[in-house]
Amino acid sequence: MSENTVTNKVIQKKHVNQTHLYWWLGGENSNSYERLQALSFCNALAKNLKLLYPDDKEGLREALERNLEFFNTEGTIGAMVPAITLAMEEKKAQDKEMSGELITNLKLGLMGPIAGIGDTLIWGTMKAIILALGCSFALQGNPLGVVFPFLFTLMVFVIGRYTATLGYNLGTDAVTKMISSGLMNKVIDAASILGLFMMGALSASYVRLSTKLQYTIEATETVISLQKILDAIIPGILPLLAIFGILWYFKNKGQNYVKLIGLIILICMVGALIGVF
Amino acid sequence: MNNLTIAIISGLLYFIGTQRVGYGLSTATGSPIVSGFIFGLLYNDVETGLIIGASIQLLYLGVVFTGGNVPNDQSLAACIAIPAALATGISVDVAVALSIPFGLLGAFVDQIRRTTNLIWLHKADEYAAKCDIKGIERCALVYPTITAFFIRFIPVFLVNLVGPEAAKFLVDNLPAWVTTGLGVAGGVLPAIGFAIILLQIGRKEILPFYFIGYFLVKYLNLGTMAIAVFGVCIALLIYYKSTMEHRKDGV
Repeated sequence: MSENTVTNKVIQKKHVNQTHLYWWLGGENSNSYERLQALSFCNALAKNLKLLYPDDKEGLREALERNLEFFNTEGTIGAMVPAITLAMEEKKAQDKEMSGELITNLKLGLMGPIAGIGDTLIWGTMKAIILALGCSFALQGNPLGVVFPFLFTLMVFVIGRYTATLGYNLGTDAVTKMISSGLMNKVIDAASILGLFMMGALSASYVRLSTKLQYTIEATETVISLQKILDAIIPGILPLLAIFGILWYFKNKGQNYVKLIGLIILICMVGALIGVF
Repeated sequence: MNNLTIAIISGLLYFIGTQRVGYGLSTATGSPIVSGFIFGLLYNDVETGLIIGASIQLLYLGVVFTGGNVPNDQSLAACIAIPAALATGISVDVAVALSIPFGLLGAFVDQIRRTTNLIWLHKADEYAAKCDIKGIERCALVYPTITAFFIRFIPVFLVNLVGPEAAKFLVDNLPAWVTTGLGVAGGVLPAIGFAIILLQIGRKEILPFYFIGYFLVKYLNLGTMAIAVFGVCIALLIYYKSTMEHRKDGV
């Protein structure tokens, strides 16, 4: 191990922060079909790589090209990957024997699991909850709703800064252990429970579907409304059926939005035409 | 407010709402809630703007850009449907239904952007070979933003020049059952957003929490903030309980 430890610390906290800032700024801006986030990744490290190779043009060129290779992950939790890479590049700059492939393999190994965690926690849960809270204000015409989307962006920046610092300080082994330990799954479970709970409540408020079907008993002239009967048995059963019908569609027919939306609009129009809705 | 001004502002808003400098920033700047607020200010009806915006936002709650793919573009939906609705006074539900095709078209607009980004990626390869750090930075931050401006601004500007009239003509001339149907669809379509989230996190073992949330609202009429308080408490309890077991197992 001793030959791998960095003897001259070049990278300070402000440099790690700089890598995170550039990673955050670059984001998906240069995302392309060929190598996805590769350019953002390289740009996040570029200035610090120059620090690591002050007089070694060949070494710098190799490092830049190494970090322009394919990369794609979730950018918030994934902010730790450029930071870990920075730590490894720092070692490599001082230990010429260290293989560059080690760094590349590490990046490729981390990006998949981290994307899975980040997509679930940040985009599937945190984004949905924060935007939904914003919707609940905005739907009442309250301008406070505008604040929530920006709160999400702020959280992405702050969490990214934290994971980047953590990644640089802990290093590869600790991060890999953390990801593969069961603890991460428990965090995801708790977040998913909160997410499901909130989404249940919000879908109850915001998905609307009721039927106009009714039946008149001629003799007594009583009007029996199907909706009233449904409300008495299980309130909100029709919206719930709509949600799970769509879920069933996604699971069995794939995520074809165009077809699904066309189908929903068609059903609603036919329903309106024959007087069901 | 004349059409030309609205068209220019809509085009700018769409660019700002989809430009991708700042990870997660376009989630806010492109949020239909934010667009609804701004269009509301322009048309002097912030309340309606916010309501239409939030109703469109609900459709896109669960959208995740897996692998960088944009399956559905909330900002394009908002930047076309909201000004059209505010200009013509069509109902919120119909506006939501009308916004949907544009949200889908937005996916193609993003594909164009990501294809043009190939140019900058290859330019960055050249800069890397020359150790030109500034050049790489321009390729990552500046050039893609400039191309994105033209790709985003022009179509929305053009559509909004005729948008309000077209929407009004459409809605005025549609038979009643079509507008009723579109209205019903406007109420049902948010279900897609929730279904996507269920698809992602709705594992069987924790699905009952969804139903608890749903029926707390249907039976007890609890507000969103109240639900959020209970939700956080429940999630914390379950997290602490599972980490205690975690330690006991010594895993």
